[in-house]
Amino acid sequence: MVENSTLPTPAALSVLAAALLAACGGGGGGDAASGTNTGDDSGTGGNGTGGALPLQEIPVPAAPGFNNFPQAASNEEAARFILQSQLSASDEEIAALRTSAGTGTYALYLQKQFAKPVGQTGWQWLEQRGYGAADKYRYFFGKAQADFMLWNQLFTAQDSMRKRCALALSEFFVASLESAEFDWRSHGFAQYWDILVGNAFGNFRKLLEDVTLSPAMGYYLNTKGNQKEDGRGRLPDENYAREVMQLFTIGLVKLSLDGTEQIGPDGKKLESYTQDDVTNLARVFTGYDFDTSDGVRVPVLRADGSAESYTLPSRAFTQKPMSLKPERHSPLAASFLGTTIAAGTPGPAALQTALDTLFNHPNVGPFFGKQMVQRLVTSNPSPAYVARVAAAFNNDGKGVRGNLQAVWAAIFLDDEARNPQNQSSTSFGKLREPMLRFVQWGRSFGIKSVGDSWKMFDTSAAADRLAQSPLHAPSVFNFFRPGFVPPNTALASTKSTAPEFQIVNETTVGGYLNYMKDVIRYGIFTGDPLVPHLTNGEKYTSTINATYLKELALVADPAALVRRLNLLLCAGQMSAATQNIITTALAGTALRPATDKPEDIANSRLDRVCAGVLLTMASADYLVQK
Amino acid sequence: MYLTPPLKRSPNQPDDDSRRTFLRRSAQLTFTGMALPTLLNLSAMGQAAAMVAPDGSYKALVCVFMYGGNDYANTVVTYDDPSYNLYSTIRGGGAGQTAGGIALAKAALTPTLLTPTTALPDGRQYAFHPSMTGLAALFNAGKVAVQLNVGPLVKPMTKAQYKGTDRTQFPVPPKLFSHNDQQSLWQSSSPEGSTIGWGGNVGDLALQFNSNRLFTCISVTGNAVFLAGDAALSYQVSSGGAVKIKAATDQYTYGSTLVKNAMLAITQQTRSHVLENEYNKVTQRAIGAELLVTAALTSAAAVDTTAAPNPNFAPFNAEVLRDNSLASQLKIVARLIAGRGALGSPKRQVFFVSLGGFDLHDDLVVNHVRNMRRVNDAMTAFYQSTELLGVASSVTTFTASDFGRTLSSNGDGSDHGWGSHHLVMGGAVKGAAFYGTAPPVSTSETTAAADQWHVGQGRLLPTTSVDQYAATLATWFGVEEAELSGANGILPNLANFNNLPASAATGNIAYPRNLGFMNAP
Repeated sequence: MVENSTLPTPAALSVLAAALLAACGGGGGGDAASGTNTGDDSGTGGNGTGGALPLQEIPVPAAPGFNNFPQAASNEEAARFILQSQLSASDEEIAALRTSAGTGTYALYLQKQFAKPVGQTGWQWLEQRGYGAADKYRYFFGKAQADFMLWNQLFTAQDSMRKRCALALSEFFVASLESAEFDWRSHGFAQYWDILVGNAFGNFRKLLEDVTLSPAMGYYLNTKGNQKEDGRGRLPDENYAREVMQLFTIGLVKLSLDGTEQIGPDGKKLESYTQDDVTNLARVFTGYDFDTSDGVRVPVLRADGSAESYTLPSRAFTQKPMSLKPERHSPLAASFLGTTIAAGTPGPAALQTALDTLFNHPNVGPFFGKQMVQRLVTSNPSPAYVARVAAAFNNDGKGVRGNLQAVWAAIFLDDEARNPQNQSSTSFGKLREPMLRFVQWGRSFGIKSVGDSWKMFDTSAAADRLAQSPLHAPSVFNFFRPGFVPPNTALASTKSTAPEFQIVNETTVGGYLNYMKDVIRYGIFTGDPLVPHLTNGEKYTSTINATYLKELALVADPAALVRRLNLLLCAGQMSAATQNIITTALAGTALRPATDKPEDIANSRLDRVCAGVLLTMASADYLVQK
Repeated sequence: MYLTPPLKRSPNQPDDDSRRTFLRRSAQLTFTGMALPTLLNLSAMGQAAAMVAPDGSYKALVCVFMYGGNDYANTVVTYDDPSYNLYSTIRGGGAGQTAGGIALAKAALTPTLLTPTTALPDGRQYAFHPSMTGLAALFNAGKVAVQLNVGPLVKPMTKAQYKGTDRTQFPVPPKLFSHNDQQSLWQSSSPEGSTIGWGGNVGDLALQFNSNRLFTCISVTGNAVFLAGDAALSYQVSSGGAVKIKAATDQYTYGSTLVKNAMLAITQQTRSHVLENEYNKVTQRAIGAELLVTAALTSAAAVDTTAAPNPNFAPFNAEVLRDNSLASQLKIVARLIAGRGALGSPKRQVFFVSLGGFDLHDDLVVNHVRNMRRVNDAMTAFYQSTELLGVASSVTTFTASDFGRTLSSNGDGSDHGWGSHHLVMGGAVKGAAFYGTAPPVSTSETTAAADQWHVGQGRLLPTTSVDQYAATLATWFGVEEAELSGANGILPNLANFNNLPASAATGNIAYPRNLGFMNAP
């Protein structure tokens, strides 16, 4: 592992930040991307140059530990970078990374990704598909279309780096569809996803505020409806106050810049807040509710066109921050983390002070930065790596704190992420998350959905799906914890974390393989893809399928097919021994001769390609991304 | 104590305990690179038993974990008028002891009133949540006991000590009120990142009685540190049984035996990369164990199909199983116990099941009905099944949860707390009884005695530690006294509760090493 305690120089980061700004069309550092509804209707476009200004490469100088591997020396190195920072790799992306501007640096490639326009939003997609209707199908009450929306976003996104980063953010700022029980919940969660996507290349401070006031989070952690103390024993709900500290900003223990926990003179870890801090901060989050101030009520239509006896709030509230009812906001003073908000401070001002206090706490950079490194690159980053990422969070080189572009650049350009030698370490890397494997599979092999329905349900089931699904964490503690150390393993003896192993067990390894075996070969079975609704008892047919065009072209050459799978899925990290096992199995299973029926020949060709894909995706070489 | 791992958990610490060293060494032998769950009988290798199993008969411990922090005050509900009236006032109850706020109506509690053989002091009475009719009947029939106000403690602690600043003499458990950490503390005496749980440590000692070690500690829910021991590991089944990995075990994969064989090889090969190797080891175990578990569940004693329903599992009827994952989990536990002959007839097993949805900051009253219905139906059916199987006195089920909650209301829910009341169920339980001390019903902050057992908003300051609770269960299971505490012991803080008598210094709370709710082993 590369370990270097020196941080990138401000000069290096400054030049990087300048490069990033150029890529954004000169937008102001932090808020280049707005949180809500900024998608352009040109849809899923994005041609790599995006903004109005032509991209020029501004060299990002190397600093100790940072950007000393500025270019991909091979297609495999290019694929490795892309698979860390995006949802999948393609021939075109690999070529683009290697040849961009004639020099092909990772930094320029990053700039291009940052500059890509946000694709269609999830909220817009729901509307386009007709899920905004208030009719007999009762979409306002359902969650399935939120899953359809998410799969559409993940499988078809052209702004794949932005979506990859948003997915990582969704495992930090966790709100889950699992317990969403409010009208227009799918729209609310689409908006939540759009907030993560829209702010992914923006600033952490704005993201934190957008998350805090979002209807989905408001419902999930009970800021919605939270009331001031009544003087008769009722007290503010503490849920959001606690979790925004423990999980979304500072964590439980005081951290050094490099993410290590601070120890007090008594030898014990220094906890970063107390129950009193929670109780006080809770007062700040009182008085909020869904913003239905437009007063619009929507009739729900029966099949015959007549209206039901009840009406619904307009779904417009799902796109608005929650609003404050001042009379329900606590007038008490609130003291937390060394800050005091005076009694009687109006709610909006109190919220700004509280979020600023959290945002400016020295823990945020290492706490957030380390978890993003774990999601994107490696389970056990060196303290020096964490320190470099945290420093970029603290200051992007232009004095801006919380610039997420600087954080992603610091993560992906770090020597520890880039040094090819780390691929031969026996501990570097992370287990790929099951939902990312699934998305990578579809994107890599040209997945298509008939009618663009994307009627794929939640994949949370452990025994026969993926034990994971986007925005379906079982609790605000995500699918797995950043500090999880798998018991009874070699990792336990070294106290090494492997968060993703928290969902690995004798049930889930089989659930994954069985599910992939079916979808790789037979696709995803859906109801009628030409209508948005679901009906009971409808016949499900295979309407979402990978096409494997380039792979089928290689079917007669198993070794070449395996080389391709190794590049696209594994970034060349498959061992020679595994390649040999797969190639031998494929070559030994004969294709049907030309004299057979065309259908049988086609099936045998598809069998071979699918066997290659399944064996690759079952291999530990693939499962652990290095 | 919590912050520096106890000696036995330090990988670099020379281990002078030959038995435990042996267990660890054999764990490496057993679980590294094996193709199938290994048959390794420790007792046959002449190792000293550190657990007693006098007649070689069967015993199982079943932990029912309620994730999210169960609301103690509406689960074991205070019932006598003076206490109920305080509860009702604090929780916003209606006039005339009616429901209101997050308080339950007193009349609704009458059918689930608990009638212990020995009444509590000071006229204190409790009822279960109105949904817990089956468990109330089992309590009154002597099959369920209630442990009052139990939670993680390092040492006995009074409120003054908690409020004080001397953390050297009066340490508090780390990361109180935090879900993930308190779950971990309940299960393992350490916060998140812990790798050894007390269920697993009990399992370590039980390995010697089980010809197939893999089936000593079985989880039917997600991964939990509770079942991880030094040698024993947590084997996971789904509530549908063991998952068969089709591509590696069917005759053909995509029409090819060669592809199937490649699958078998690839998914189980030894790897030099540690993450890759650990992943393949799980797959290896899954493939090896699946045949045995499927054989167990399809054996005559355990099989239960629609066409041929097994009367021993009839208590898990459609109504009980409806929307109740806990019932599905406990049903598979009952079937695994029934079919254990096909698993090598283990003599000692530890199971872990769970239910989520207890973090009720909002809509407590409505959602708690749902939760308590699930817990009641699942546990009651499980007890009835064990009676039908003739193992009721061999199986002890107990509840656990992240923490209790506040007694005060936040409008329509309660917030994170500390101590809570828990249930122990089985034929070997000395039921129809309360253990521990009934905490005063209070959210007030005065120096009055009634205000001394909560640390704000009715967050109970535990008067019984999880270590005592665990020690009592482990002792029944057969774990010898010497194994429980001490540097190498299962429960690192148990020595701090070493039959400490009630005194002014302890706030008049006694801390018995064995809480007394179990029959002798």
